Amino acid sequence: MTQQPYLPILAVVAGLALLPLGLSSNTVLNFLSFAMIITLAAQGWNILGGYGGQFSFGHAVFFGTGAYGMALLQVRFGVNPWLALPVAMGLGAVVGFAIGYLSFRARLRGSYFALVTLAFAEVFRISANAWGFTGGAAGVLVPLRLDPANMQFADKRIGFWLALAFVAAVLALTLAITRSRFGAQLVAVRENEEAARALGVDALAVKLKAITLSGAITAAAGCLYTQKFLYLDATLAYGPWISVEALLAPIIGGVGTVFGPLVGAVVLLGLGEVTKTVFANLMGGSVPGVDLVVFGVLLIICVAYAPRGVLGLVQGWFRRKASA
Amino acid sequence: MTMNRRTVLQGAAAASAIIAAPGLVRAQAPAIKIGILQPVTGALAQDGEYGRLGAEIALNEINAAGGIKSMGGARLQMVFGDARSNPEGGTSEVERMQSEGVAAIVGGFASPIVLASSQAASRYDIPYICDVGVSDQIVSRGLKNTFRFGPGFGVVTRTALENLSKLNDAAGKPAKTVVIVHEDGLFGAGMAKLLNDRLPAAGFEILETIAHPTPSRDMSNVALRIRALNPDLVIPSSYYAEFVLLSRTMQQQRIRPKGVYAILNGAASNFRFVKEFPDAANLVMDCNHWADPRKPKTAQVKALAEQGGRFWLYNTPLNYSCVRLLADAIERAGSADRGKITEALAASTFADHIMPYGPTKFENGQNTGAAPVNTQVQNGDIKVIFPDAFADAKPVFPAV
Repeated sequence: MTQQPYLPILAVVAGLALLPLGLSSNTVLNFLSFAMIITLAAQGWNILGGYGGQFSFGHAVFFGTGAYGMALLQVRFGVNPWLALPVAMGLGAVVGFAIGYLSFRARLRGSYFALVTLAFAEVFRISANAWGFTGGAAGVLVPLRLDPANMQFADKRIGFWLALAFVAAVLALTLAITRSRFGAQLVAVRENEEAARALGVDALAVKLKAITLSGAITAAAGCLYTQKFLYLDATLAYGPWISVEALLAPIIGGVGTVFGPLVGAVVLLGLGEVTKTVFANLMGGSVPGVDLVVFGVLLIICVAYAPRGVLGLVQGWFRRKASA
Repeated sequence: MTMNRRTVLQGAAAASAIIAAPGLVRAQAPAIKIGILQPVTGALAQDGEYGRLGAEIALNEINAAGGIKSMGGARLQMVFGDARSNPEGGTSEVERMQSEGVAAIVGGFASPIVLASSQAASRYDIPYICDVGVSDQIVSRGLKNTFRFGPGFGVVTRTALENLSKLNDAAGKPAKTVVIVHEDGLFGAGMAKLLNDRLPAAGFEILETIAHPTPSRDMSNVALRIRALNPDLVIPSSYYAEFVLLSRTMQQQRIRPKGVYAILNGAASNFRFVKEFPDAANLVMDCNHWADPRKPKTAQVKALAEQGGRFWLYNTPLNYSCVRLLADAIERAGSADRGKITEALAASTFADHIMPYGPTKFENGQNTGAAPVNTQVQNGDIKVIFPDAFADAKPVFPAV
């Protein structure tokens, strides 16, 4: 295990990559693709929030910047999506750096930092809603042209594999960070910023690096969202829903762990999908929203009995088994 | 062979099976699955429920009348999908409907849901009929599978402005000044921009354009601003809750402009508003989708829709008509094949609907005959005041 730390990632990714080959159902594939996009957004959050301890309530700001960047570069400037993707991720990184610089230099921490990120997301949402360049409230529509050169795939499996490739890359990146000097400094800042500073860690630089990286990764999720749905408006891009998903997935899965966001996103969305299907079959959709109630109750149970996330729960089981 | 109780029973069972067989064959004519997509949870749940109601009434009616005759009386079976009031929800339900093998999809309600889900449906060539979504982008994308039975944003606003001028001229031009109140989303903001461009040319002075977010919990500031400006006319473009709040606040503050002229408003032509707040709603005008009051069928559908204390909203007749339009196309296609249904839809001249449109004629997916009407709340009822051909009441304007 210590010899091959990347082996579990390889195994999980290979397992996920093989899934579509055994599946004929596009419903499941659609679910998996969406879960990968949410995973990616959550992985971005996890680097800043999970490892760095800076809880952001406004990761929509990065998601939306990536999504709008991707859409507008294509629609307004005719840029090829494969080129637009890194540019849009770069925009996410720039926004991350800017927000980080403003708030970390002002020494905003904890709930204050959370509130500032929330406010930034709202400012971006309202601006995108009002500005003609972003299409205002009418949003942007990316023309449907199914062509791999255009990053739109007739075969849905390729879209899934593309998203999975990003998730895999970030899994590897996250693991590399945990094993690096930067990762250790990040955790030190999370645990006790004053102590870390006393030991010579440049807390501001560490946090800035984290939020910039976090912004770029979550922006990539936004890019993939744009290519999947080909339509954006301000509420979809900068709305609170994605901030909540990006935050909830790591918390459910396991904050500050490599696999936490992936496990959390799959469990969270999977639970929603399963309750929806079960209740659709049970009641034929006669009582709308019952599945959401059940979903909420399951979520409460999940958080109450697994305070360290699903991964923490599983690790706990194994530890008890080993000691028994 | 010994005759005992068992063999007699077996024989009887076999005989009755043979006698019953033709009936069984008739009953088992393969059902055609129709996807009905509506947001029944989330912010748009009320609209989605009424849309589903309209689709259900149409499906029941078609099945009760013997199903699709050109296909041996095949029944239409509803595959319902909850679009969750967002595009992802709509798209994932389209995928599920595809896996269940639907022949076509009707619904969507909101423009973002329609844009995303009709595109998802186009990947499988599933014919998609948009029920309400007014964004002009829906039919300008060149998707062969997407049809819109109702009018788009451009047609609605043009009609609304023409009729406003007519209304004002007929009353001797009492209205000169206007305040526009709009929600800051897709349709409200677009509408406000358009009104700002066009109203001055029509001889109206715009005193102020007031935006508010959806949802809003308090409209006092908007109402006070209207009182201070004292316009002749208030033009609100908001969703249900916000408009109800605004008109109740105006009523409480005794703000009485000469007219309230709404465009595509979520409440102004909604019987729930009229029944719950009759005083606040009285004499409010709206330019919106509305069923044709002269058609006898409209009263029948309305009676069915109002069973169980439900209200009469435009979503119900629109979805009823869209499903009937689809059934007519399947009847003519004589097949549940998606390509054939799409062709039949594109060539449709369907006229047996309950909207005030005339025969259907699609051009690039848009029904060219589709148009909104002007309604006014008069003494607890919603009357059509424009166009004259469909009107069942004269406009009351100015209101004070």
